[in-house]
Amino acid sequence: MEKWMNRAFLALLLAVLLAVPAGTALWSHRETTAYYENRTLAELPDLSWESLRDGSYGTDLESWYSDHAPGRTTLLELDTAVQLNVLRRPVVNDVVVNAPALLPKLDFDEYTEEAYQYSAQPIAEDFGAISAFVEGCGGQFYYAGFPEQRVYFEDLFPDYLNSHAQEAETADRVFAQALSDAGVTFWDMRQVYEELGHPAEYYSTVDHHYNYYGAYAAYRAILEKLAAQDWDLPVLTEADIDFVELPNPYIGSRNRKLYNLWPNTDRAVIGVQKDPVAYTRWDNGALSDKPLFVLPAEDYMPTTYNLYMGGDFAETVLETDRPELPDVLIFGDSFTNALETLLYASFDETHILDLRHYTEKSLKDYVAEYRPDIVLCIQNDTFYYTATGNGAVWEDAADGT
Amino acid sequence: MSFGSMVFLFGFLPAVLLCYFLLPARWRSGRNGVLLVFSLIFYAWGGAALLPVLLLSCLGNWLLALLVFPGRRGRKGIYLAGILANVAMLGYYKYTGFLLGNLQALGLDITVPSIALPAGISFFTFQAIAYLTDVYRGTIPAEKNPARLTLFMAFFPQLLQGPILRYGEFAPALTDRRESSAEAAAGATRFCFGLAKKVLLADALGTIADAAFSSGDRLTMSLAWLGAVAYTLQLYFDFSGYTDMAIGLGRVLGFSLPENFNYPYVARSASEFWRRWHMTLSFWFRDYVYIPLGGNRCARGRQLLNLLAVWLLTGLWHGSAWNFVLWGLYYAALLMGEKFLWGKGLEKLPAPVRHAYALVLIVIGWVFFRSGSLAQVGQMLSAMFGAAPGGLWSGETTYYLLQFRWELLLAIPAALPVKCAVENWLRKQSGLPARAVLVLGPKALGFALLGWSVVRLLSSTFRSFLYFQF
Repeated sequence: MEKWMNRAFLALLLAVLLAVPAGTALWSHRETTAYYENRTLAELPDLSWESLRDGSYGTDLESWYSDHAPGRTTLLELDTAVQLNVLRRPVVNDVVVNAPALLPKLDFDEYTEEAYQYSAQPIAEDFGAISAFVEGCGGQFYYAGFPEQRVYFEDLFPDYLNSHAQEAETADRVFAQALSDAGVTFWDMRQVYEELGHPAEYYSTVDHHYNYYGAYAAYRAILEKLAAQDWDLPVLTEADIDFVELPNPYIGSRNRKLYNLWPNTDRAVIGVQKDPVAYTRWDNGALSDKPLFVLPAEDYMPTTYNLYMGGDFAETVLETDRPELPDVLIFGDSFTNALETLLYASFDETHILDLRHYTEKSLKDYVAEYRPDIVLCIQNDTFYYTATGNGAVWEDAADGT
Repeated sequence: MSFGSMVFLFGFLPAVLLCYFLLPARWRSGRNGVLLVFSLIFYAWGGAALLPVLLLSCLGNWLLALLVFPGRRGRKGIYLAGILANVAMLGYYKYTGFLLGNLQALGLDITVPSIALPAGISFFTFQAIAYLTDVYRGTIPAEKNPARLTLFMAFFPQLLQGPILRYGEFAPALTDRRESSAEAAAGATRFCFGLAKKVLLADALGTIADAAFSSGDRLTMSLAWLGAVAYTLQLYFDFSGYTDMAIGLGRVLGFSLPENFNYPYVARSASEFWRRWHMTLSFWFRDYVYIPLGGNRCARGRQLLNLLAVWLLTGLWHGSAWNFVLWGLYYAALLMGEKFLWGKGLEKLPAPVRHAYALVLIVIGWVFFRSGSLAQVGQMLSAMFGAAPGGLWSGETTYYLLQFRWELLLAIPAALPVKCAVENWLRKQSGLPARAVLVLGPKALGFALLGWSVVRLLSSTFRSFLYFQF
């Protein structure tokens, strides 16, 4: 009996050992991206003498094999479910899960105020330079800074974790001061939200962005600030918009890391204009029929923050054919996306750049060519100290032109 | 190549098993050939550039052994030259940077070269020295077939982290071993348990240790102790997990590799700890350093000197840094103390007190071992004993306790002979259920642990075994 048990056990093990490489060989080509991890899967490395000699072939093949193991996504989802529901860890896949909102697990280390001051100055100088350049081209430059979700919900971190609340406050203050010293008009949306009572419904519990209510509040605040600068712009008031909560499940960037297993009731909201401002849309230079809100075909299909404008594009232009209104250039991170669906209605032409992807021209060349009346930078505070992407405002284009 | 990698588990391992078992059992040299080829592939996988070092060591020692067996003229000189060559090779790859770095620190204008360390060099060099010495002593005959000696030194299950083999024990298996389903099943089960020790326990506990040892000014007394205890457990599960996998693979292939651990954390003294921890290394130092130096059979002063030499070398064997030297000297002092000063008194104390004594000393010892510098040793130890820059407790400690509570809870019984006690209890039961649990339980659990380990491997960044660096 025991002999047969041993043989059965060995046969089962050998079957597993052989099934994995067989499955990988059969199905490895099917997927090239890991949706829940938001990354590209490793490619099969090229075999060369040099890569065998230095061992990099082995390392790269290991990455490829791990990425393409059959059933990988299902297994990782199962593992996440076990970590969440059985082992009940406070942090799963680098996401803090035992809080009223999903938050990132942050290091316990903090940077000092001196370190922020040191970093802020050159970045602020670049923004000062582009601001002066825009003015030289006949426009005005404004920077609207937003708290990221982890900053907005910093009070929700468990006591034993470092929310970096003090550090974020310091970093934001130092950055605002540096911009002010460089002559840049900076609008801190964190203060705006505080003045509005810090409503919890402005931010998603499962995503690092605000939600549409937060975007709308920011839109109104921005237009008020522009009005204070003597810009006479039409405004979409609450009476002009129906706020519609979509029935679709909403996969936020944080819950996505948890295979959407964290229970929540978050839903995406869109602002449907009762009397829509017509527009012509161009994406990356090509005429586009994409709507402002890209909705799933069916109610059961999940949606993400990418529904706003269809996600990040290198360049989008919205033309409303109202030459009496000024033109605006908006550049920045994905916080712009939800705002764009509102802001375009207040301008004739709305040019939108994401400098993380746009390489055709430098920002200053773009400004020099289109001469927008208003240039608006929109970034969340986790990008304040990033001198690349949308922080690279005073550089030549990536292709060297 | 690491045992805890996808390429090993689902590429190399099935390939070697298929090639090995598809050959007829009676064609022993064919099966040995398969093991040799796969062992060299296994070693070259991490970088073929350093494979010649291993091959040079194998062939050099094979040739030297042919010249040093009893009866040959001038064999003593050749033997000493051979030992010197092995030590020089180890010294060049492992200690050049350390030596020159220290000279540079003393003010000499020296460039410290960056020398890639061949994986497992400390292990295969010690096996080579043991082989050469045993042949020289006439304990074993010199191996005439270089392929067989190369297989002994490069045998993939134990090549990178031991256990350290003796050729006298290994050679008979090259011709006389017998693979069986019972042995293979037991070996495979042990392999699965070893993998789980590494992936599920050691890697998780390592996260705590890494955090504590790199916390700098945030270090609290509680975090220092938690980190030191976590490292104590991590190192055990990491190293003994590897050993379980090595012994398990050996059994699958019909080899009986020596045990390396015997529940070291149940020790009641530092001396007992070293009879239970990395036993093949302890035996190696005993047989090839301590006893040749005179061992216990000499004056007390000479005995102390012998102990000091052995532990200095033990420290240096583990790493080319001052903290390893200090760690070796720490154990030298403890063992001398237990041997000549407080050992007898210690034996009169109640067992729990002796156990606590040993555990505290072991944990402190691992602080020397894990620290990246002497300054960090001082920082950790002072924090553990009250002078922590961050005070007594911080949220960080709470977080690690909560995040890894399951691993911490599981690690303690897993480090104790609970499994043996359960097995013994089951063996004493006469009913069929007990028998079924005894037969099926480890296999079912091993299979489940293999699955879970693979899932964790897929979800975490690849981490190499700690003892690779030695």
